[in-house]
Amino acid sequence: MGLLRTTARSANIMLEISDLYQRFGERVAVDKLSLAVNAGEIVGLVGRNGAGKTTTMRAVMGILQPLGGSIRWAGHAVGLPDRLRFGYMPEERGLYPQMRVLDQVAYFARLHGLEAKAATEHAQKWITNLGLEGRELDQVVALSHGNQQRVQLAVALVHQPELLVLDEPFAGLDPSAVDSLSDVLRAEAARGTAVLFSSHQLDLVERLCRRIVILEQGRVVANGTLEELRAQVPQRLRVRVRTSADWTTALKGIDVISKDSEGALLAVGPGMDTQAVLRTAMQAGTVERFVFETGGLVELYRQLVAN
Amino acid sequence: MNRLTSIRLIAGREITERLRGRATWILTGITTLVAVGLIVGPAVFRPPTRPTVVGLVGTSAQALGPALQATAKAAGVDITTMNVASDSAARSELAPSQTTGRSSRALGQLLSSLQGGQATLDVALRVDTDSASIEFYQTVSPAIAALLRAVVEEVHQRDVLIQAGVPPSVVGTAQQPEPITTLTIQASPSDFAGRRIAALAAGILLYVSVGVFGNAVASGVAQEKTSRTAEVLLAAVTPSELMTGKVIGIGLVGVAQMAITVGAALIANAMARSSLVPSEVWVLLPAILLWFALGYTLYAFGFAAAGAMVARQEEVQSVAAPFTVFLVGGFLLTYALIASPDAQWVKIASYLPPVMPILMPARLALGHVAIWEMPLAVLIMLVSIYGMSRLAGRIYANGLVRGGSKLSWLVALRLR
Repeated sequence: MGLLRTTARSANIMLEISDLYQRFGERVAVDKLSLAVNAGEIVGLVGRNGAGKTTTMRAVMGILQPLGGSIRWAGHAVGLPDRLRFGYMPEERGLYPQMRVLDQVAYFARLHGLEAKAATEHAQKWITNLGLEGRELDQVVALSHGNQQRVQLAVALVHQPELLVLDEPFAGLDPSAVDSLSDVLRAEAARGTAVLFSSHQLDLVERLCRRIVILEQGRVVANGTLEELRAQVPQRLRVRVRTSADWTTALKGIDVISKDSEGALLAVGPGMDTQAVLRTAMQAGTVERFVFETGGLVELYRQLVAN
Repeated sequence: MNRLTSIRLIAGREITERLRGRATWILTGITTLVAVGLIVGPAVFRPPTRPTVVGLVGTSAQALGPALQATAKAAGVDITTMNVASDSAARSELAPSQTTGRSSRALGQLLSSLQGGQATLDVALRVDTDSASIEFYQTVSPAIAALLRAVVEEVHQRDVLIQAGVPPSVVGTAQQPEPITTLTIQASPSDFAGRRIAALAAGILLYVSVGVFGNAVASGVAQEKTSRTAEVLLAAVTPSELMTGKVIGIGLVGVAQMAITVGAALIANAMARSSLVPSEVWVLLPAILLWFALGYTLYAFGFAAAGAMVARQEEVQSVAAPFTVFLVGGFLLTYALIASPDAQWVKIASYLPPVMPILMPARLALGHVAIWEMPLAVLIMLVSIYGMSRLAGRIYANGLVRGGSKLSWLVALRLR
């Protein structure tokens, strides 16, 4: 999978969404949205509620027919035979409440084309992998919320999909379940599976995803690796000077984002002379802190969406 | 994976899950018990028929015994005669209140009445030289009264004629009536009452079963929609595969349940030798199953569309109400059909697809269906089922993954 870890984004595109358009009544849900997912890549879809994440995923899974745009898989327009090799976990979980765990997972495996024996074997394997051993004969409704979520994940994974589409897979999970789900997603990606998932838990997205797509009002506002996203926002310089006076008034042509006990936060613009800033600070007092801040995804997200 | 495999898997899941559920077995058990009970009950609790006991009081009446027996036999009336010594003895035998003095005796009476044949008289006949009398306790059947009167008159005429010098052989010939031939213009089926019961039973059975299993489809679909299982399913199968598989799966369970209920009822009918429903009624079984399959399929597609329109499980009944109304209409028309099986409007109504699955088997039970009518009716049903599946399929596909409040039929039909 070394190839997949290169930056050659177009080398191994499996899922390709182009100019996707969908509206419900007057409300435009997805507006000319384009994104791609490579084999073995985990792509995180980030955006506020109603940004178009779920609509995009449902369109990929064929649950709704978009009004415009195209969805391609391995170079051709996606069809039902392709979708049988996709695994899907909808935002609102969907399982037969009265059906037994093993039967349920095996049933979905069969619907995705596995033979009866293989379906049961794979179902059992995933039930074990996801820590549900011993609950095979229980009805789904008898399981806790977290365990139902595991069954839902088993349903998405049981047929060894080539694409995983997971809508908010981490919602409502305890920290240990989050860790085990993260491990599963990493392992699936390492197997070559393309993974597209959405989440509001940006720290998780930052940790897991090779690439992040930020949606706002149905449009892609940013798409890239964390480093690429950082390059899209102005860098910031944190300077703390021990002085009672406001030393920043001496800075000319520099945008001061904030001033507080942590010091002043300065927007780093193109051609900015940071050495001149340092000299100004030293003249004002003792410089206690002088660092470039590379914000996390949370900070980046705020900046990118604000822009 | 091809379409048939998907449908087979979906139908298979419905069957497995329903057979695993207790509700299916409880429903089958109850309907079978009720059906068997309705047939066996009357046969067990109906008092056995016994011949009318005619008490002959005095020697003159007793002399009429053989003539009475012969005439009764010729008239097809079941009687036995018993010689009674006196009027007072006859009266005490006629009055049941005088014979049930003690409980042990009452029990004996009851047992003997259940076994048929007992000492109590139904009617007493007394003949004197120039008069005769018939005595009974409360009522006597007109046929028995007429029979006794005829025999008394015949013997009286015979005595008078012989006393007047007419040779007995001539009297005998004169009293021997010419055989009367009978001609029936249109025979009423001897089992007409039984056929009416069978028609009503077929009507009730189809009305109830199409309703029950149609509603099962609607709630199954609604459950998949409201639990969002449909969303996961539709990632792997098409809406039409999902709908067809569900309709077939629930339908097969329905056919099996019907076969068990109707089969048990027919076996019970044959064993109880119930005179109410002719035992030949078993030929109705395949017809009832065929019409259940056709009627159920037509309605099930509609119920599936209804299930896909709801936002909450509790809304199923109200959204599916139009279909329930049609079913009730069909059921009510069964009464009209039984009242006047040859009425033209009933025949025409039986060709309307929504009520056809209830009325056609009822007409068949009544024996009022021409040979050519069945294939025509089946053809009309098949065309209707196709049309319904197309229309319902569209509503189903639109409604199943749609959020928001429940859809009205008008809105659902207008959706792209």
